Amino acid sequence: MKQKEFIATVLPFKDKLYRLAKRILVSGDEAEDAVQEVYLKLWKGRNKISNYKNPEAFAVTMTKNYCLDRLKSKQASNLKIVHSNYKTSENIEKKIEANDGVQLVFRIMETLPEQQRIILQLRDVEQFEFSEIAKMLDSTETAVRVNLSRARKAVREELIKKHNYGIS
Amino acid sequence: MELARIEKLLDAYFEGNTSLAEEAILRNYFAQNEVAPHLAAYKPMFDGFTLAKKEVSKQDVQVTEKQFTVRRWWYGVAASVVLAIGVAGFMFSEPKLTQEEQEALVAFEKTREAMQMMSQNFNEGAEELSYISTFTKTKNKILK
Repeated sequence: MKQKEFIATVLPFKDKLYRLAKRILVSGDEAEDAVQEVYLKLWKGRNKISNYKNPEAFAVTMTKNYCLDRLKSKQASNLKIVHSNYKTSENIEKKIEANDGVQLVFRIMETLPEQQRIILQLRDVEQFEFSEIAKMLDSTETAVRVNLSRARKAVREELIKKHNYGIS
Repeated sequence: MELARIEKLLDAYFEGNTSLAEEAILRNYFAQNEVAPHLAAYKPMFDGFTLAKKEVSKQDVQVTEKQFTVRRWWYGVAASVVLAIGVAGFMFSEPKLTQEEQEALVAFEKTREAMQMMSQNFNEGAEELSYISTFTKTKNKILK
């Protein structure tokens, strides 16, 4: 597989990988690093990637695994995740500024368990089919639905809590 | 969009039982400014998902690994050349002795010559000593 062909295959879903990485790692910089790392791995195994039916799903799985590993090693070395992206990612910051509610949703999402965060990201943000998500996460559609339902309800609960608080 | 349908979809949504198309309907409903007051709490959720999808990576992906592998290949070649030169140099330079070693060799030869000469002279001297034994024999004959 030539470089051009490789880029054409994998570049279309770069932003998706980035957003997933950021959902897991929270920090934008770390997410960029993760994407870079995943692409390097994909490039090394570029001859294999053409064998996969769905390179995108494969890349998503790789990104998820890589980010979870990063998270684990970070917790092991007792480093705290830097929650700095509110300030750093300017392009989204500007849009959010007008909307405290949306920012609250992002913050609630950060508190969810990783698996729920990942599923919520893949379904509600990236709009993958359940069958695709199940394959990406090496899980079943039922399990994905259950986890997704929990994640959505958790967000709703927090949101309503804050909403009522704001009103009363 | 009639409100009842939205409410029904919303219930299904939280149970994880909506299709992508149905979720798109919900997103579109909450994207508009007029949302039923009792559903207003959900608006930021769907707006947030829409907004989250707009975020993009700002870094260019670099897959210049090709150059990297070429360079790595060259490292291998360079290393083996250096090794070959080293081994060859070692093998060919062995017979050639350094200045110091040559001097030491000459000194060794000289010393050996000197030692040999000494031992030769010593042997000659020892031969001369045999006359003393003759003298002793003669003396014994006389003084028996």
